[in-house]
Amino acid sequence: MNEGLLAELKGAVLSFDKDKAEEAARRAIEQGVDPVSCADALADSLRIIGDQYSAGEVFIPELFVASRVAKVALSFITAEMRKQGKNVRSLGKVVIGTVFGDIHSIGKDIVATLLFAEGFEVVDVGVNVKADDFLKAVNDHKPDILALSALLTTTAMEQRNVIEGLKRAGVREKVKVLIGGSAINQEFADKIGADGYGATGPSGVKVARHLVAR
Amino acid sequence: MRKGFQRRFDPIKVMTDSQVEAIHRATLDVLERTGIRFESVPALNLLKQKGCMVDYDTRIARIPPSFVEECIRMTPSSFSLKARDPKNDLRIGGSTLYFMSSAGARYTDARTGEVRTATPEENDQAVLISDALDTVDVFPSYTPYFEIEGVEPVMLCPTSLASRIRWTSKASRGAQATDTFIFETQLAQAVGMQLLGVCEAAAPLAYPEDAINAAFEYTGAGFPMFIAAGSVMGGSAPATIAGATITNNAELLGAVVLIQSMRPGTGIIGNDFVTPMDMQSGGFLFGALGVNLHQMAFNQLWTQVYKIPTVNCGAAFSNSKLIDYQSGYEKTHTAMVSALSGANCIVLHGGVTAELAYNPVLAIINDDVANVIGRTVEAFDVNEETMALELIHEVGPNPGSFLGEKHTLTHWKKEYFLPVVADRLSYDEWINQGKKSIIDRACERMEKILSTHKPLPITAEHDKDIERILEDARKHYRNKGLL
Repeated sequence: MNEGLLAELKGAVLSFDKDKAEEAARRAIEQGVDPVSCADALADSLRIIGDQYSAGEVFIPELFVASRVAKVALSFITAEMRKQGKNVRSLGKVVIGTVFGDIHSIGKDIVATLLFAEGFEVVDVGVNVKADDFLKAVNDHKPDILALSALLTTTAMEQRNVIEGLKRAGVREKVKVLIGGSAINQEFADKIGADGYGATGPSGVKVARHLVAR
Repeated sequence: MRKGFQRRFDPIKVMTDSQVEAIHRATLDVLERTGIRFESVPALNLLKQKGCMVDYDTRIARIPPSFVEECIRMTPSSFSLKARDPKNDLRIGGSTLYFMSSAGARYTDARTGEVRTATPEENDQAVLISDALDTVDVFPSYTPYFEIEGVEPVMLCPTSLASRIRWTSKASRGAQATDTFIFETQLAQAVGMQLLGVCEAAAPLAYPEDAINAAFEYTGAGFPMFIAAGSVMGGSAPATIAGATITNNAELLGAVVLIQSMRPGTGIIGNDFVTPMDMQSGGFLFGALGVNLHQMAFNQLWTQVYKIPTVNCGAAFSNSKLIDYQSGYEKTHTAMVSALSGANCIVLHGGVTAELAYNPVLAIINDDVANVIGRTVEAFDVNEETMALELIHEVGPNPGSFLGEKHTLTHWKKEYFLPVVADRLSYDEWINQGKKSIIDRACERMEKILSTHKPLPITAEHDKDIERILEDARKHYRNKGLL
């Protein structure tokens, strides 16, 4: 019975069916299936999609829709886990946002989705986020990684302001800072004191894995 | 049957209706007053029977306008062409756009542009590669290479067709040189396929005996016909677009009259291969502005007024010696203009260094170009689902995003085209993956095709028939003292 429901959950994500995913999650909880197994099944399905994406077999839209479907099911599963006092397994927590002065969201959304599909817990704080608000998010969520996106050359320097803000508040050493955006390169990342940089979404995820493994 | 690309909007017009009328009237005047030289007594006899004024001394037939227009009406607006494999049959005409592979005399090195004679193996491999390319629908005569190491010139055309029969199951065009049409017809019939027969003028306003004999042979076999008049503006045609359109039109309508007199109702595709002359060297200016304008005028007259299918050769070659920016832009703008003005077939893949060379690496790059052009004429759907009005409201302003929407997932692949060999990497990825150029990536695709693609094989019996017919051809040419 459990196996069947877990397969249904996985199948719903792999077939991009939000209604089926929600229904399978509700039934799993009603029938007393271990919510940790349900979360693992959803993570498995996202890993499959993620691997297919890395192999060039599926593309960003598939990854996004699968993640959205998994998130719908996961909201029921995590509520049940909290009720049972169980923790969600994750590679680490990431707070992600686009810096102040920049309202571009697509690049940030792609990285957030890739991180989620990889198994990170992701807190998306949105676009046009001020340095103080990033600092507040770091204090509130205590992430392993703070990921900053800046599409424009003119807003790339705002990433330095965020890092300086973390230093002034004495929390710089408590969080790894990952930066990205089309105007960014390794030289810039080194110059502003970031811990890592990703030229593309997938390379940003690789760097994130590397940062939490240290 | 191969689907090709379906044009879904009206072709563009480069001439007004009154300009079209003026060109047509002038063409009829040329055919009636000056006429066409046909270097063949049987052809002149036939045309005389049909009411043309024939002068046997000059071998010129003057064709009455009413008979020209009757022959235009007799020519079907579309026709079928039977390939070796029925799934590769073609229906040429209407709004369908097919692509024909290009050709070149010799093999060119993809990186250095150095040219040498192709080996038989290289010829077979180049055919196999085009068999694997989805956008190559049909092969021209003596292609990919006009010269093959160890093959006597007079045996080139039948040997080349034998290679195409063995290494592809797609359709092919026959050739007209020195009796080759006899053996090419036999080769095609031995494996149950048709050829696109050929009849090529010697501009201005003349048809050589070979072309007429080929037309008799191919129409006799019931094959549809590819008619061509490769003139050069300022040389064998007037230097002006309008003047060159009139002479080219007269030459091709002369072939329409001849072919409909031989076998009424024969399917015909008219080829436009008119290039301006390079007034410094006397060579052809492939990829020039004049090619575009001439193709547009030709397509407007033939597909929109005469309702006879057209093929354009403007994108077949480039004057560039290298697979480079020039070969890319010359082929692309000429092919795009052909497609937008209603051509039914575009000759594109692989030809470079004027007509001197061919390389399958370029054919692979041109496969992406053909897909982009074909998808352009297929346009897009406008309906409730594709307009996505409710979704636009739902997603709203930034930071709203359409990426996670099922609508994107459902439609993006249909609406986009992903080029196979174009470089789309980020700069860092490009560095990390070895700074590959489009030629590197096309070479990789070529290696993959060569190691995995298997064309539909012919039977052992067909193989024996092919060898027998080639041996008959050798005997025929030996008897004629040509071998």
